[in-house]
Amino acid sequence: MQMLRTSGLCLGLAVLGGCATTDAESPAAWTKSGDAMVDARQAIETAPAKDKVLWQYRASATAMRKGEFLQAKGWLDDALMTLGGIHAADPSARKARGMFREEGRKRFLGEPFERSMAYYYRGILYWMDGELDNARACFQSAQFEDSDTTDKTYAGDYVLFDYLDGLATSKLGGDGGDAIRRATASARQARLPAYDREANLVLFLELGRGPRKYGDGEYGEQLKFREGESVARGAVLRVAGQTISIPAYDNLTFQATTRGGRVMDHVLRNKAVFKTGTGVAGDVGILSGAVLAHNRQTREVGLGLLAAGLVGKIVSAAANPRADLRGWDNLPQWLGFAAVKLSPGEYSGLVDFVDERGAVLANKSRAFKVRIADAPRRDSVVFISDRND
Amino acid sequence: MNPDERGFVAGTGVESQDLVAVTDKMARSIVAVPVIQKAAAAPYVILEPVLNETRFPINKDMFLDRLRVQLSSKTQGKVRFLARERLAALEKERAAKQAGQFTSSANPNVQEFKGADYLLTGKLQGLSTRTSKGTSDYILYTFQLIDARTTEIVWEDAAEIKKQGLEDAAYR
Repeated sequence: MQMLRTSGLCLGLAVLGGCATTDAESPAAWTKSGDAMVDARQAIETAPAKDKVLWQYRASATAMRKGEFLQAKGWLDDALMTLGGIHAADPSARKARGMFREEGRKRFLGEPFERSMAYYYRGILYWMDGELDNARACFQSAQFEDSDTTDKTYAGDYVLFDYLDGLATSKLGGDGGDAIRRATASARQARLPAYDREANLVLFLELGRGPRKYGDGEYGEQLKFREGESVARGAVLRVAGQTISIPAYDNLTFQATTRGGRVMDHVLRNKAVFKTGTGVAGDVGILSGAVLAHNRQTREVGLGLLAAGLVGKIVSAAANPRADLRGWDNLPQWLGFAAVKLSPGEYSGLVDFVDERGAVLANKSRAFKVRIADAPRRDSVVFISDRND
Repeated sequence: MNPDERGFVAGTGVESQDLVAVTDKMARSIVAVPVIQKAAAAPYVILEPVLNETRFPINKDMFLDRLRVQLSSKTQGKVRFLARERLAALEKERAAKQAGQFTSSANPNVQEFKGADYLLTGKLQGLSTRTSKGTSDYILYTFQLIDARTTEIVWEDAAEIKKQGLEDAAYR
């Protein structure tokens, strides 16, 4: 019986090829060089087409942390071009919905919190270039990605995206009032400062390691998130004799876990039910068929049931309800922001990371140099992360 | 594929066919404005960057650049443009001529940089909706020609484009 089961499974695999899994996490056809940027480039170049956006996301976060902003811009633009397309007729997505293909076969675009972060990083880069309206467009798109949650309480509830949308509007001479009101209503972690149009040093802060995906359920068909980790819960900025507290405003684990169910979750649940159902039917067919086949008078019926049971087992083995666990694995857990007004000149600044109680974390500080230009008037942007990957 | 055709790769944002359609429409509309058509001398126009208020980051200069090229080529000199975006380089060149560093075909100390008669600018505004089925984006493109002397808006026109994109269930 065991042999029959095994051969049935193998036959199923060979015929349907549905159990074969693809894993974006596995190392591609290159050896790690030890240089994060070199590895990032290689990963993008060698990644299968369906995983390209995933690697562009990851690489752009790395590039941001390394200060390779031009490179990050190129990767994000490419990824956002794919993300901004219409995916109704995407054959890889259609196949991923099929009973015998796993979800991870589809072209990766990411869950909404991952898509939002791609727009957020691009927004920071536009701000660096002095293109405030394009930065604002990115923050709006970032918020837009979060707008169709099942529970509308959590729709578009990133604090910083609204706050930055309003700040950019205010700096462009408009009224950012609505945006700051929305941001204030969403703020759960800390109070937001009023807009200062004259602030010319803007600092984007990110802390910790963001949420991680894992598969739960009998077949790994349920997409779930492990909470992100971060010892740092904020920072203190010291520049030009000023000391400014930078709280964390947005929690990415919260954002990842408050979206409600996906349509794809229903598809995967149905696949899991189908897999269990055909498996049970196969077992019943094989067992009853084997019993009946022993009796000369019922042998034909028994063999028929046995064959049907085998088919059931093959189909069950080939059904693939596994959730797509590919994820942007170097996102932060917390996002923070500060804006300061400084006179034109060169400054050396220091960012100390602080824990939940406000105590400075030893050996974690980041120093930076910044030049505040007199003319043309443009904000100087500093991006600080407590990560270095 | 022509730039005014919708490609196989499409989104709900600002695309080349929108740029072509909008700037063509605006160029036709500006040419018909009496202050341009009946002007005794061709007016000088400067371009002021388009303001993007949509959720789509765009290369804003492309709108005005294409509009300028369309107007310059289709109106046979009825509208003339001043290269204000190159002012820094032009000032540097003039200063070098004034200092005798470069030769000059005319007296470099005479002010010859021209002032504008009109200012051409625009704004892109958007309204976006997302449902469980997909995304809908409406973009309103408005352009204005403003009299630099009186601040009067002598011409204004708009174009609007709405796009919808269904998303595969695998991405929802």
